[in-house]
Amino acid sequence: MTTVTSTVTLDTSTVVRPRPRTGGLAAVATLARRRLAISARTPRELLIPLLAPLLFALVVVPALADTFGTSIGGVDYMTFVAVATIGLLVPLSTIQSGLGVVVDRLGGGLRDLLAAPVSRPSIVAGNLVVAVALASLQVAVLLGAAAVRGAEYDLSATGVMWFAAATLGFAVAMYGAAEVLANRLPTQEEYIAALPAVAIVPFFFAGSFFPISALPAGLTVIGKLLPITHVLALVRYGLADRNGAGLHDIWGMSNTTAMAALSLGVVALFAVALMAAAVRTFQRTAVR
Amino acid sequence: MKYEIRIEDGLDDGWTAWFDGMHITNEPDGVTVITGQVADQAALHGLLAKVRDLGLELLVHAAHQRRASIALPKERAMTPIIASEGLDHALAIETRQLTKTYPGGVEAVKGIDLAVPPGEVFGLLGPNGAGKSTTVGMLTTTIAPTSGRGRVAGFDVATHPIAARRASAVVFQEPVVDRGLTGRRNLDVHARLWGLDAAGAQKRIAAVVEPFGLGEVIDRPVDSYSGGQRRRLEIARALISEPQVLFLDEPTVGLDPRFRFELLDLIAGLRAQGGMTILLTTHYLDEAEQLCDRVAIVHHGRIVALDSPAALLAHMGRDLVELRLAGDVSSAVSSLRAQGLAGDDTFAVGATLHIPLHDRPAGETVATITDLGLGLTAITSRAPTLDDVYLQLTGESLAA
Repeated sequence: MTTVTSTVTLDTSTVVRPRPRTGGLAAVATLARRRLAISARTPRELLIPLLAPLLFALVVVPALADTFGTSIGGVDYMTFVAVATIGLLVPLSTIQSGLGVVVDRLGGGLRDLLAAPVSRPSIVAGNLVVAVALASLQVAVLLGAAAVRGAEYDLSATGVMWFAAATLGFAVAMYGAAEVLANRLPTQEEYIAALPAVAIVPFFFAGSFFPISALPAGLTVIGKLLPITHVLALVRYGLADRNGAGLHDIWGMSNTTAMAALSLGVVALFAVALMAAAVRTFQRTAVR
Repeated sequence: MKYEIRIEDGLDDGWTAWFDGMHITNEPDGVTVITGQVADQAALHGLLAKVRDLGLELLVHAAHQRRASIALPKERAMTPIIASEGLDHALAIETRQLTKTYPGGVEAVKGIDLAVPPGEVFGLLGPNGAGKSTTVGMLTTTIAPTSGRGRVAGFDVATHPIAARRASAVVFQEPVVDRGLTGRRNLDVHARLWGLDAAGAQKRIAAVVEPFGLGEVIDRPVDSYSGGQRRRLEIARALISEPQVLFLDEPTVGLDPRFRFELLDLIAGLRAQGGMTILLTTHYLDEAEQLCDRVAIVHHGRIVALDSPAALLAHMGRDLVELRLAGDVSSAVSSLRAQGLAGDDTFAVGATLHIPLHDRPAGETVATITDLGLGLTAITSRAPTLDDVYLQLTGESLAA
């Protein structure tokens, strides 16, 4: 047996003590706690955003149902619109969360995070976690209040999973869009100005108040291309419309599960693409 | 060839996945032991480099053999596992031809070379726009260098940015604390991002709050802090992680004189404790003179002088005569040189002429110059300052 002494050159002039390191999940958790603490410092800051879903569920949707009160595809109009309101609340909530990114950038907080020993995508992930959590809270309040006001859900475990997956994917996709805008647009004013185009206009082409089949043919095609259309069809399918009328309007197939899977795939594709774009944009713009 | 590597940190599941194919055991004393087989010493070097790449500091404890063995000294810190060609691993901060050109062609830093040993307080001195903050930005990885290299605590900022950031902390020129959060929450977030657990974070917060005079305000939102309190919080926060290298980017800018002196005392206290390398940028010459072991004077993105404050001042002589002239500066310099009163290091800034005196008594020189009838509006003599060094190096030089 031969023994060879190492020729590795060790420099002992600087004795570096081993340091604890921040694991990926731990970093995301810390960043999410920070974001949550900034976004909801007081109960008031947490409760005020819930006024919108409450207003929709308790006032606007019942009023629409009273005015246009018929059922669509076997789903009463109150439930039809109440569930569709997810398509408005989630973008508004996530875009609102994205405003924090602009504030971080302009206020200097971002530079501080960039100097922290965490990976840059984890900064985006920390924001995403809070954005999705706040959007989910609004959706839960909306659906709960709508139920109190008379919305009728047809719940099953599978249906709830379709609903949850679609809502989650939609929230992730919309936050990805928000993060891209927040990193691209130089001021809060420009960011806010982009809100209607991203968060509100698509809502009207997605079968929110009526099936997309009721739209002019050209707009129907556009509607089918929007992720929100697939989300609304999925959440209605999961919570109220086991026949999947909205899915049929999009895909025209007979197998409802297959159509749901295809729509969920579209939502997932948008979520992945927009988050990838968000991380890429952040990394390219945050470090000059 | 069989090897054994010991890492003082425990490895959690997220990291053990990287070591696929190697045998890993977490020992009760918190040491992680990685064992496996490699073909030869070169392969071991490669392995260690990869481990190092993850930002782990290794304690190579021992290696065993089947046919051959690697006998490495016990308990030796392995900072410089990855070779960075041309860079000295023993330095706390090192840059080689570090350059930054911003989009639009603004050359902020034009090839800066620094070599700061551990424990030194090093000053980057220069006016606004000299490139000081950009240099700090590149070393803290918040600004991407255009070219050149930099190392912090032995870690290349381009190839091991997370490890470099973990070993350092920075107090930026502009306030960056979350103003809506309490001071304690700000400290806690920082501690957790630097890898401390909840108990460790609380312990470190307790350790920095009182020395920095934050005890009464620590649970208040930072919004309610005075400028001085906020700055103290930012420095305390940077120290939470006990960094090897601390970057202080214009820490006193914008503060009123009282808070400024308070902060200078704090920084002097850090210096007195020793052990930590501090890179301080400032355009206040007295700060550099008071706090720094060595100072680099930065002008238009380049270092134009680098030495200890005393050595830099020594070049300016014992005294400096300052003449304010009503007439032509060049002809006055010619007259002074003809009389042997002005040397090659005489320099002018506008209509003011500065004459360093190395041997000649100041009083006698002032009297002689006054008698020359040069059209003086004022003449004084005083001890030189770093300000004069800076003006001589960067202002209008008549010696050239």
